[in-house]
Amino acid sequence: MPVRLQPELRHQLIQYGIGDWNACYHCGTCTAICPLSEEGFLFPRKKIRMMQMGLKDQLESSVEPWLCYYCGDCSKTCPRDANPGELMMSLRRYLTSKYDWTGLSKKFYTSEVWELAFILLFAALVVISFLVILPSMGFHFTKELTADKGVRINSFAPIHIVETFDWIMAAVVASLLISNILRMYYQIIWRKSTTKVSLWVHIREFWRLIFNFAVQPKFSKCDDKNYWVSHWFLMSGYTIMFIVIVVYLKWFQTENIYPIWHPQRLLGYYATAGLLFGLGVAIVGRLRKKDIKFQFSHVSDWLFVIMLTLTVLTGILIHIFRINGLPVATYICYIAHMSVLVPMILIEVPFSKWSHLAYRPFAVYFAQLKKYAVPK
Amino acid sequence: MTFSSAYFSCELIHNSMEKMQPTAVFFYNPKGAVPDPIDYNELASYVLKFPFVKQVWQADDFLWNEENLLSRIEMYQLDRIIIAGPVPGIMKTLFSKVLSLSGKDPANVILASFAEYGIRKVTDIARAKSLLATSLFDIPYEITAIPEEYPVNPATLVIGGGIAGIQAALEIANSNNIVYLLEKTGTIGGKMATFDKTFPTLDCAACILTPKMVEVNQNPNIRLMTYCEVLDVSGTTGKFTVKILKRARRVNVSTCIGCGTCAEKCPAQAPSEFDAGTSMRKAIYIPFPQAVPNKYLIDAESCIYIKNGKCRACVKACPVPDCINLDEKDQEVTVEVGNIIVATGYKVFDAKRIPQFGYGVFPNVLTSLEFERLLNASGPTGGNITFRSQDKKGNWIFTPESEKPESIAIIHCIGSRDKNYNKYCSRVCCMYSLKFAHLILDKLPDAQVYEYFIDMRAFGKGYEEFYERIKEEGVSIIRGKTAKVEAKNGKLQIRGEDILLSKIIENPVDMVILSVGLEPTEDTEKLCKILGIPQSEGGWMEEANYNTSPTGTIKGGIMIAGTCQGPKDIPDTVAQGSAAAAKVIQSILKGKVSGDTDNPDPEKIEKHILELTPTL
Repeated sequence: MPVRLQPELRHQLIQYGIGDWNACYHCGTCTAICPLSEEGFLFPRKKIRMMQMGLKDQLESSVEPWLCYYCGDCSKTCPRDANPGELMMSLRRYLTSKYDWTGLSKKFYTSEVWELAFILLFAALVVISFLVILPSMGFHFTKELTADKGVRINSFAPIHIVETFDWIMAAVVASLLISNILRMYYQIIWRKSTTKVSLWVHIREFWRLIFNFAVQPKFSKCDDKNYWVSHWFLMSGYTIMFIVIVVYLKWFQTENIYPIWHPQRLLGYYATAGLLFGLGVAIVGRLRKKDIKFQFSHVSDWLFVIMLTLTVLTGILIHIFRINGLPVATYICYIAHMSVLVPMILIEVPFSKWSHLAYRPFAVYFAQLKKYAVPK
Repeated sequence: MTFSSAYFSCELIHNSMEKMQPTAVFFYNPKGAVPDPIDYNELASYVLKFPFVKQVWQADDFLWNEENLLSRIEMYQLDRIIIAGPVPGIMKTLFSKVLSLSGKDPANVILASFAEYGIRKVTDIARAKSLLATSLFDIPYEITAIPEEYPVNPATLVIGGGIAGIQAALEIANSNNIVYLLEKTGTIGGKMATFDKTFPTLDCAACILTPKMVEVNQNPNIRLMTYCEVLDVSGTTGKFTVKILKRARRVNVSTCIGCGTCAEKCPAQAPSEFDAGTSMRKAIYIPFPQAVPNKYLIDAESCIYIKNGKCRACVKACPVPDCINLDEKDQEVTVEVGNIIVATGYKVFDAKRIPQFGYGVFPNVLTSLEFERLLNASGPTGGNITFRSQDKKGNWIFTPESEKPESIAIIHCIGSRDKNYNKYCSRVCCMYSLKFAHLILDKLPDAQVYEYFIDMRAFGKGYEEFYERIKEEGVSIIRGKTAKVEAKNGKLQIRGEDILLSKIIENPVDMVILSVGLEPTEDTEKLCKILGIPQSEGGWMEEANYNTSPTGTIKGGIMIAGTCQGPKDIPDTVAQGSAAAAKVIQSILKGKVSGDTDNPDPEKIEKHILELTPTL
């Protein structure tokens, strides 16, 4: 089938990251050096060609950008300084904005003003809720301590209200993300008019989605295993914290001070340590810029790292102040914590960098489905 | 900017210039295009000395579009525009169009190209002014900026005894003038002497070169100085005094009979430079059997006596009394010459710098120069293509007894066209790689030969036809450079992307040849400083004018020839050797040589312009 060339697409793509699409002279070094590039899913060179020619439809139905874990080998060996690794990263940003049907993702990726404005708006709403709305609903917090000298946190942030809000936010975010994943599925699998994938293959290969989410085996194939380890700690810490906060908040946000070996505290400490370790590696890496993958930080990369770090740090402070019986400090930190956490979840999860947590395992699953596609 | 009637160097010019049409000078220096530290403000005040220059514009003064230009041309009633800068030609179309739109002669756009006249540095400001002066009067720079002439010493120094130096030396010597031919190693012949065949004619390289080498040795006008280096050049144009380091050869060239008894007895070994390290030679050695001069020399770094003070096996064995003097010291000699031709050639890219291709790790990953020796009948294997093996002492060398490979891959562009190493194209690699493919099939008709390339550069006379011929011979020519060479199941596995198939191919082969690119020699920078000639991008020696004087330099009486100016093949190298010699012979016949062109005097040029334009 003939394709339509849209070279002007380059100008649009350039907003999603740093890269010189025209530098490539197609020697194929990047594809061959890549430990993840395989038959049927060749990248980065083929994707760069699509960018150069502006093959919009082909780009949007590509699964390959999600199969790249950015080890940077291609950029290191590229004879043209074309930075194929960063081009793939930019393409992931572009695809994220294309899966999103609201158009907000594109705004956030291409305009820092939009992104900052939304963050500040959500943060302001959080502060107003705690200082104006909750007191007007008749909830008044206390400085009195519990029997074991802990802060009465549920008097400040009533657990059932916070939990209800949690569920609402989770539902909004999940519906956005799920609709985006369905759009991704449509682009990668459904839209192809010449092939189809049977339902049985969908069911049979489903385990890959779970497995890739939990272990990220593809990432471990990249040469630098250390980064896979640190990323895995970050991811597992994040996931545990997310589940505990959204699903088991009643169990997690307690006024009791459990002994240190209690599963509630152990889980919390593990998740915090994992997050801090992973974030530390990312922040130090992005500041030192020694590794190729950390050399070009888009605003969205920095925002994700900074917001997550602030969330974790305020979370740690809440914990320390609470068990040491410092009510005012605890409450201030709680507001700060929520005013970073809420915008982070609402902006990053469906519209920005965080969404890769969903897109990557789904991409592995979809790629597997593509392998079993049969002619219609 | 406003009109300024500053002091003017020549009153006559001032008067005549009132008849010139109103002119604007536009300094076009696009940011980031060329590293360009020239002081444009000084140039601006220089051109404003000329009363007919009404306007001076810098690149960032205003937006360069038709509308802005038209209004300015009409406001200042301009008739002519001079565009000056590194690459002014880019803007010419726009300015011509605007002039014609405003009813003026579109031909009145004059370019002053800094790149063409080698104006790159702060110190080139005098040349920039001179170029601007000639452009303002639309007179060719070449006929106004004539450097002064100096009496010339008819003797010539040629630095480098490769094919370019040999060619130049023979041309000058045959015109009955004295030539000192200086060579750093123990023999003349250079890189070409190590080659097996030339492309595209597949002539035997040695059969072309060795008669010329013998001719050098026999020509009474050539003073051959091997194992020598230039230490210093002093004096003035046409009368250079060159201080030369004559390194101790430790064998008397006039009495050595070249019998080889010394080398038989010598216990010390070192890798042979001539064989590109593919074989071992003794510490007392003759570089190769056809060396000129065909005399032995001692390598001080591997000689046991020089290191420990004990041995003298060669002295005991030598049949000629007092021929070997192990205690000989380096000497300094001076020669007086009028012209110098630099023909120092190139070195090949060190393939170890790209670790993913495994050179230096896998014994059967070779560089092209090593493979050239394998193919050569006078090489370590007598022309047989065999695997590298270890000798008793553990040195990796080639011997004719080893087994023969069944599949060979040739990878192009190693160290060339690569921004991590050298970004230029080395020009010869595609063609010599195709030549390799042919010679492999010649010697191993059943072998599988693969060429991995990015773009095939078959640019010369007969080259494209040669490429077609190689394709017909059954070589697999694959588009895609390949990324790495790995050892797998006793073979060398090459992983690359076939660009045309869009497939990753993993190809196990027995031997890999890396087509390494060309680089300036280690001494280039030092020699350029001694001679006072600049280096172009990539470190090559810079010619006076890329198009019209490729063998001249900005220094009067100093010429460059061959690959020291940039990568090139044998025919081009030989042509440059002859071209440089022609310039030298021209100056000897005339008795005068032109001075330096790097720093012309703008005032003299202004006067000259006046002499050339009496009608003004």
